[in-house]
Amino acid sequence: MNDGLVGRPVMRVDGRAKVTGAARYPADDPVPGALHGFLVTSTVARGEVVGIDKSAALAHPGVVAVYTHADLPRLTVPTFPYIKGFIPLQGTAVHHAGQPVAIVLATTVEQAGEGANLVRIDYRAEPPTASIDDAPQPPHLPKPFRNRPNEIARGDAAAALAAAEVRLEARYSSPPRHHNPIEPHATTAQWDGDSVTVHETAQGVNLTRSVLSTAFGLPPDRIRVLAPFLGGGFGSKGPVWPHTILTVAAARLARRPVRLVLTRAQMFTLTGHRAEFRQHLRIGATRQGKLTALVETTTAQLSRTEESIFNESDSTSTLYDCPNVHIRQEGVPLDLASSSYMRSPETTAHFGLETALDELAWQVGVDPVELRRRNHTAVNQETGSPIRGKRLLDCYRIAAEAFGWSRRAPRPGATKDGDEYVGWGMATEAHTFAAAPATPPVTASVTIGADGRAVVRIATQDIGTGTYTVIGQIAADALGVPLDAVTAVIGDSALPYAGVSAGSATIASITGPVDRAARAARDAVVALAVADPRSPLVGVPAAEVVTAHGHLFHARDRERRDSYRAVVGRHGRPVETTGTLLNAPGHSWGAVFLEVRVHARLGSVRVTRVVTAHDLGRVMNRRTARGQVLGGVTWGIGHALMEHTAYDRSTARVVNPNLSTYLVPVCADTPAVESHFVDHQDPDSTALGARGFGETPITGVPAAIGNAVYHATGRRVRDLPITRDKLL
Amino acid sequence: MKAFGYSQVREPAEAVRAARQTPGAAFIAGGTDLLNLMRDGAQHHDHLVDINHLDLASVADSSKGLRIGGLARMRHVAEHRSVRERYPVLAEALEASASPQVRNMATIGGNLLQRTRCGYFRDAASACNKRAPGSGCSALEGWNRGHAVLGGSEHCIATHPSDLAVALLALDAVVHLLGPDGPRQVPVDGFHLRPGNAPHVDTVLRPAELITAVEVPRPAARSRYLKLRDRATFEFAVVSIAAVVDLRGGRVRDVRLAFGGIGTTPWRSPEAEAVLRGAPLTVDAIERAGRALVRDAVPRQHNGFKVELVQRALVELLSGWGGSR
Ligand SMILES: Cc1cc2nc3c(=O)[nH]c(=O)nc-3n(C[C@H](O)[C@H](O)[C@H](O)COP(=O)(O)OP(=O)(O)OC[C@H]3O[C@@H](n4cnc5c(N)ncnc54)[C@H](O)[C@@H]3O)c2cc1C
Repeated sequence: MNDGLVGRPVMRVDGRAKVTGAARYPADDPVPGALHGFLVTSTVARGEVVGIDKSAALAHPGVVAVYTHADLPRLTVPTFPYIKGFIPLQGTAVHHAGQPVAIVLATTVEQAGEGANLVRIDYRAEPPTASIDDAPQPPHLPKPFRNRPNEIARGDAAAALAAAEVRLEARYSSPPRHHNPIEPHATTAQWDGDSVTVHETAQGVNLTRSVLSTAFGLPPDRIRVLAPFLGGGFGSKGPVWPHTILTVAAARLARRPVRLVLTRAQMFTLTGHRAEFRQHLRIGATRQGKLTALVETTTAQLSRTEESIFNESDSTSTLYDCPNVHIRQEGVPLDLASSSYMRSPETTAHFGLETALDELAWQVGVDPVELRRRNHTAVNQETGSPIRGKRLLDCYRIAAEAFGWSRRAPRPGATKDGDEYVGWGMATEAHTFAAAPATPPVTASVTIGADGRAVVRIATQDIGTGTYTVIGQIAADALGVPLDAVTAVIGDSALPYAGVSAGSATIASITGPVDRAARAARDAVVALAVADPRSPLVGVPAAEVVTAHGHLFHARDRERRDSYRAVVGRHGRPVETTGTLLNAPGHSWGAVFLEVRVHARLGSVRVTRVVTAHDLGRVMNRRTARGQVLGGVTWGIGHALMEHTAYDRSTARVVNPNLSTYLVPVCADTPAVESHFVDHQDPDSTALGARGFGETPITGVPAAIGNAVYHATGRRVRDLPITRDKLL
Repeated sequence: MKAFGYSQVREPAEAVRAARQTPGAAFIAGGTDLLNLMRDGAQHHDHLVDINHLDLASVADSSKGLRIGGLARMRHVAEHRSVRERYPVLAEALEASASPQVRNMATIGGNLLQRTRCGYFRDAASACNKRAPGSGCSALEGWNRGHAVLGGSEHCIATHPSDLAVALLALDAVVHLLGPDGPRQVPVDGFHLRPGNAPHVDTVLRPAELITAVEVPRPAARSRYLKLRDRATFEFAVVSIAAVVDLRGGRVRDVRLAFGGIGTTPWRSPEAEAVLRGAPLTVDAIERAGRALVRDAVPRQHNGFKVELVQRALVELLSGWGGSR
């Protein structure tokens, strides 16, 4: 018997600690004797450091050291997940504004900051390029990134396009955007001989460990990375960034622990971003709206040192049934920092695809939902193998009904309420979630103590999504103990191996191992009980013992019972088990329907109603799953209506590197969200029927908003964000 | 941030003395702008004179008008009953400003003296004549979506960000100052300076001068504030309008219009007012007033939409004005 905890909307087990301040984030843990580090960053975007004068900084009270490329030992530039191509302070070249050129160590953080202001750097500067429009050279096709080719061709797209009954061609664009988690990136490094402990704002403690291992040429077991809590990451804390390496290097040189916390402005150049993005899409279809050809060329900003593209066209390639596809993901190197993963990387290309389908729907006179149904596929477009357990059609139906889609006005610009036009729009949502690598396999351990309590250990992370809570639910369910009898210990690379909390892989990859370890622990305790003459269950076949509420019962005679506490207590030492299980990548899908109101005179856009339905396989926790939907919809509103990073065209510096001028939605911008889940067991899941989900909601929101704005006003905005100046 | 000295004062005269005697001193009130500027390296002060303990935080209304202490908090003023009833444009402008948390700290004096939100001004590494005279203006050819279309010069096109100042301008308010040479009064109209050749000088305030109060004559007419921005709350104006309109029998007997977001200072438009004064408040008249307002506008690459938007906003605000009071 089990408590049925999995799936329940259980409250976050760490919620109280977080709201009371008891939760210690990586920069909170006191480290005795730690110096404070502060980065000096380049004011120019392209050129070379030709002179450094540290004297004023070194004379400043409290400043202990100033390190530059002349002081740092040579380090090895790691590859993925170090997405930069170079390590700063290893030479004099400057590749982007905000690149670290020195690090100052001081007794207080204020002294370090002022010390950084006092370091004088002379540059030989060259004029930079900051926008795709200004790039001197045409875009090119970069080499494959992590084995993903940048060109995908299936069938004969050119011929199919030429022969199509209906053709549509459009260009879409998205501006650069930054992750902006509330918690700034922070590193605290403490060396002990040749070993180092790093308190890090990491979405992947093991990724951080592997990058540091390469950079410093240290065996991984000399490095311990700790990240017990995270104040959001959104992908920016998955890769490892220069400040982490530089802090570890500085601590070694100074022979003192060093803590370094990035400023908000530094987070705009040092921790990745969603690249500026252009998309040229040509669609061929039948008069009924069935896709026959998809031809897409995208252009993303690259940096001078890194050629990877993080605005993938997964959706164009895989979301709909289309036999003829040709996708080219091109890039243009600019004098900007390297871009990287940002929650739901496919969102930018997905915006164009889902907008184009809306345009196609109007063009052929088919309802946009019906058009998507006609192009639905239950076959993996890339491999040709069937997709099992895909319930996207249910998502359309459920969300459309809940929204009242059938009452939609048939013409754009037809509905006015007071001073505002009212419009409805929808889009499909989809995200590919990742699999954890097979070696080493993800492993969890479960220890049951003499107090009857269980401790689950696994080197995963809770990036704010509810991992602590879900681990508790899984283990408590498997063991048959109350939720509060389980403690999850995570965020430490010394624990049994797990991968990065990114790519929506956490639940998909850790659920199986945790469940297995817990079931093994349960079986071990049952075995002890039935073999123990002091147990009321002695002699009962193990298969006839059930566990619940911390007790062990005879299935048919519930008066015969024992408890975890008693069994393990008599045993005299803890019971410890481990579990491993692999997972495969997959998809979660959904549909978002929403209403906007556009002020006829002032062009203000308000999102006033949102209904979602998602197929994420089995829902592990309705509350935390809904949290992902709320966050995703909110972010989607931001992407659609306001978010963008502004670079100065002549200096390539960020003009709005703060949350006062880089706008994200506030509560008043976000309506209530009605979220539905198609809750079912994915037959191919190794995670108790669940799939990865965190990044699915958001993917369709920007297009749904643009589609609704079109329905409201008859104006099609293809360049995000949809600010009022585009609607006047 | 540079280390700085810090002292507290209890009397206005003591504040002025302290500021005059200490080189590089500045007053600190709520600190909601000053500390950000210092942290961003946009402004340096060797010493801060804390004026939060001065007895200048009261708000009093009489038949002559409203007297707001220079250290009254934005929230206190916005919630004051007389302000809400008799000076709605003021309450509306304050409540459309910043966030509740900021308004709890921020003072009226500090609000009038807050500095532009121009990204180049607040980035110590960018050229900016307001921050570093003679270094150039990055906004002219740069990211200027938020910048002014009126009142700019070849040296600066930054907007003044205060909503309060726009409302006070429409209300013909007067700023009371205390300086080394004693007290003086300056109308809000004229308090803020256009950039001209000296964009680093925002206002007529002299060194060590303290804002002790703002006096607002009681308007004989209805007043309202309209603020348009890029998100629903907690954001500065793209365009804002404070209007005080005395409408009698469908005709405009008197009107005062002030604008935010479009000018380098809180912007009063006598031209637009003149079109409306004596005229019936029709959409046609309002549109003519709007055209008069923007006649001399100089749009740049990213802010040209403000020229159109402010005219639409004026129609929006005034065409729904309704009956007289
Ligand atoms: C996130 C954010 C959003 C904001 N949004 C808005 C908005 O939408 N609309 C808006 O109008 N404002 C907005 N503001 C600005 C805010 O209103 C001002 O920061 C605030 O009013 C300044 O008051 P303070 O008391 O904190 O001044 P301080 O920061 O203490 O001082 C500001 C300046 O005024 C001087 N000073 C202060 N008081 C006096 C005095 N009595 N006499 C002489 N000099 C004095 C100081 O020396 C300093 O130079 C926002 C601010 C923030 C941080």
